[in-house]
Amino acid sequence: MKAVLRGCWDVLTSLGLSCVLLILLALLTYLGTIDQVDHGLFDAQKKYFESLIVWNAIGPIPLPGAYLVMLTLFVNIVLGGLVRIRKGWATSGVIVVHCGILLMLFAGLVKFYYSKEGHVTLYEGQSKSEFESYYDWELVVLEPTAKGTTLEHPLTPKAVESAHGEQGRVFKDPTLPFELQLSHYMRNCQPMPKGPMFEVNVPVVDGSFLSEMALDKEAEQNVPGLYVTLRGSDGKSTQGMVWGESRTPWMTEFGGKPYALMLRRQKFPMPFEVRLDKFTKEDHPRMAMAKEFSSDVTVTQPGSTRSLKISMNQPLRDKGLVLYQASWGPSNAKPGDPLFSTLAVVSNPSDQWPLYSCLVIALGMLLHFTRKLVRHVRLEGSKT
Amino acid sequence: MKLRIRILTVILALCAFALVTQAQTQLFSPRTVEIMEVLPIQDGGRIKPVSTYADFTLLRLSGRKSLAQGEDGPKLRSTEWLLELVYHPDVADEQRVFIVSDDAALDAIGLAHVDKRKRDRYSLHELQPGIDKLFAKATEYSRIEPKDRDSVQTQIVNLAEAVDMYGALRGRMSLAVVPPDVSAPKDSEWLTPDEVALRETAPMFKDKLSAQQKQLSAGFADLQRKSEDPGAFEQQLAALSAQIVSTAEARHEYGRIPLERFYYSADLLTKAQVIFILAFLLMAFAWMMPRAKLPYRGAALFATAGVALVIASIVIRCVIRSRPPVSTLYETVLFITGVSTFVALIAERITRQRLALSAAAVLGMVGVFIANGYETLDKKDTMPSLVAVLDTNFWLATHVTAVTVGYSAGMLAAMLGSFYLIAKAFGFRRDQRAFYSGLGRMIYGVLCFGVIFSTVGTILGGIWANDSWGRFWGWDPKENGALLIVLSQLVILHARMGGYLKEHGVAAAAALGGTVVAFSWFGVNLLGVGLHSYGFTSGIRNALWTYYGIQWAIVLLGTYGWWRDRIRAQAQSEARRAMPSHAPAKPHTGGAASGAAS
Repeated sequence: MKAVLRGCWDVLTSLGLSCVLLILLALLTYLGTIDQVDHGLFDAQKKYFESLIVWNAIGPIPLPGAYLVMLTLFVNIVLGGLVRIRKGWATSGVIVVHCGILLMLFAGLVKFYYSKEGHVTLYEGQSKSEFESYYDWELVVLEPTAKGTTLEHPLTPKAVESAHGEQGRVFKDPTLPFELQLSHYMRNCQPMPKGPMFEVNVPVVDGSFLSEMALDKEAEQNVPGLYVTLRGSDGKSTQGMVWGESRTPWMTEFGGKPYALMLRRQKFPMPFEVRLDKFTKEDHPRMAMAKEFSSDVTVTQPGSTRSLKISMNQPLRDKGLVLYQASWGPSNAKPGDPLFSTLAVVSNPSDQWPLYSCLVIALGMLLHFTRKLVRHVRLEGSKT
Repeated sequence: MKLRIRILTVILALCAFALVTQAQTQLFSPRTVEIMEVLPIQDGGRIKPVSTYADFTLLRLSGRKSLAQGEDGPKLRSTEWLLELVYHPDVADEQRVFIVSDDAALDAIGLAHVDKRKRDRYSLHELQPGIDKLFAKATEYSRIEPKDRDSVQTQIVNLAEAVDMYGALRGRMSLAVVPPDVSAPKDSEWLTPDEVALRETAPMFKDKLSAQQKQLSAGFADLQRKSEDPGAFEQQLAALSAQIVSTAEARHEYGRIPLERFYYSADLLTKAQVIFILAFLLMAFAWMMPRAKLPYRGAALFATAGVALVIASIVIRCVIRSRPPVSTLYETVLFITGVSTFVALIAERITRQRLALSAAAVLGMVGVFIANGYETLDKKDTMPSLVAVLDTNFWLATHVTAVTVGYSAGMLAAMLGSFYLIAKAFGFRRDQRAFYSGLGRMIYGVLCFGVIFSTVGTILGGIWANDSWGRFWGWDPKENGALLIVLSQLVILHARMGGYLKEHGVAAAAALGGTVVAFSWFGVNLLGVGLHSYGFTSGIRNALWTYYGIQWAIVLLGTYGWWRDRIRAQAQSEARRAMPSHAPAKPHTGGAASGAAS
């Protein structure tokens, strides 16, 4: 047993493992880059960089995913680069560098699990206190209340995306009088009328069905859809289909009460409200190329209101959220047309950690390589 | 004596006659051309001299910045050609300015091209019979995605665009040469004389024009009328220029115009290229004559001069643009050449083994060649306005500069690694172990230098992205390219430390690292995806694959050299072990071993 543990220790702390992991990471980086040409960034990222295993990475050959490689590298650096390494003046720089790299890898892990990304798009005078995701879609059951308001029962994007095939998944919400069976989830589809000349292998609802389409390389262009069956405890059920870009939700009745179901981009509340006061787009003179675009906004939160400018390279950081000037539109706007401003919104607990890690790594490298250079120059000097 | 005086008088008279005749046929006086060259205009979002505009327009049309007139005729400067096009269009129409790379494009539009080479230049007059068909075809082909067009279709579209551009300039001053009022805000639009004239007729614009703008517009109309009289033309242009320059100076928009004109007319990079070639040749002599000091010193002198010219170019560009050294793909070429050759010279100063100096000469020669080639292929102003996200001198100075220094080190290490492999494969200085270990140390040193800048530069890029786009790392191709360089350098250094790569292996890996740098530098731009899709890519695919091929071939050659040396070493070792049995008289201590061997 001791020998086995010893062997594991030797492998996990070895420079050989470091080299293998770095080579694997480089290979995955290369493959993930090339793959973006055909499948776009979103899918390449999921396949190569956020996975434990990449099936069919090189022909039929699988490879460990970058997630697994980086986790192993983390362990390898901790054990080999901090614990096992000889401690002394000669290795002090290397140890500092390793600390910086660990901080950066950890920042990536925290971001992967705890960050939320989306955008808030506003015309001048408009305000919002929530932002919506670029890629994730949630299913929402809207229930009218006696007070005249609407109650929202959301189902997470993970739940929606898991509803594959005819059986799909069944979800129960104790506050609703029915269970929801989600099925035939499609990442990119379009509702089509069912004609008599062809058959389809999905349910036909009111003469229409969801037709699956090829995935767009720009992941945010894909519009998902799925079928929903509402089933009561008495076995009575009703089926409908929901599609991300439907102008109206699927309206239905259950137990004499109206309900509406819709698929929408996931929304996240913000701890403050943002109002766009003015959007400015300045072109280079005599060119149709933006030199600068910025948004003058008013941020309102309980007890305070402040006005500020968000522009390229100058985001707003507040209450754990960061708002960036991302884009503007409509792209086909004519002079004088009202323009909207899109602010990317990110909630990332490890937002500034890479900056700290960069400082640590730079310091460690300077320490290590300056020492080496001085020694080398002295050696060459003594030879001559 | 008298006879001599007579002969001299006749010669002088003939010269005077020739000068007068030339002056009579000259459309513009040299002074007119000079005034025009430094006249400021607004183009591409910035204020630049007319000479820059003329240079790149002519480059776009004819592939050159000056125009050859006939087989042995004098060369027409770009500004002189532009003056002709604007003020004597009938003369300009006879100038062969349109480059056609393959006459198949002319066949496609049914244009005869007798007595012409496959690749040749044509005047508008010569193209005239096929113009209608050219535009009809170009309209048809422009509906095809550029990457899906064949070479004839591409040429037809390009030629039509060139003719269109020519037409826009023909016979009228259509450059934005009229500055706004001194009190107008910074970056206000300059206008063309025609635009001013048009606005004078529109009630909503009329009041916004200054008296000087109206005066300048009228002045340029007058200039057009004086085009047949070179003297009056020069006088009128000088008066207009004085007004424009004084306004531009008052608006702080003129200060760098003379410097820019000097930069392009001095053509420092072409001079640097010649100097690097001389350094390379002298270095070759230095290797052939190891005892002679003169070729080595000469090479060092020339290489230093070449580096100085490249650095001077970079500095001048920084001053003109008020930017850090690197903000475009073109500038990465200059900067990488400057840094890698400079580092090589320092390495040579430390080691004095001639290797780093050779690398400096080769890198300088190739780098400047690429920079000049880039300009010729891209055919665009090398000092363009930047998109909004790049409008930050802090990040350009830190991230971009650091990453580019990392690229430079990677290329230098690849060059030294290639030297090592080639020298080993051909048995150069086979017995001089110190030569190879010195070279190995140099490769290692450059890699260490590179890994600092690549790593810090890449992380800084992430921090910039975090401030601009809201994420530190987005697996964008350009980011991945930078990461690949960092990873490849880390692999080499760790494998060396772990003993997995020895000297030869490090050299081979460094040579391969050159392909990683090239992929990151240019290769990812060919993919056509991602947020960093800046810089042109046409014409570099073949060059890039040629470089990959060369590096892979060198690594294969190096592997062969390593394998051969290994076999040789094994054979020698076996021979040594066998030796005691054949030479019993020699004393030895390994009795058991020799017994086993025998």
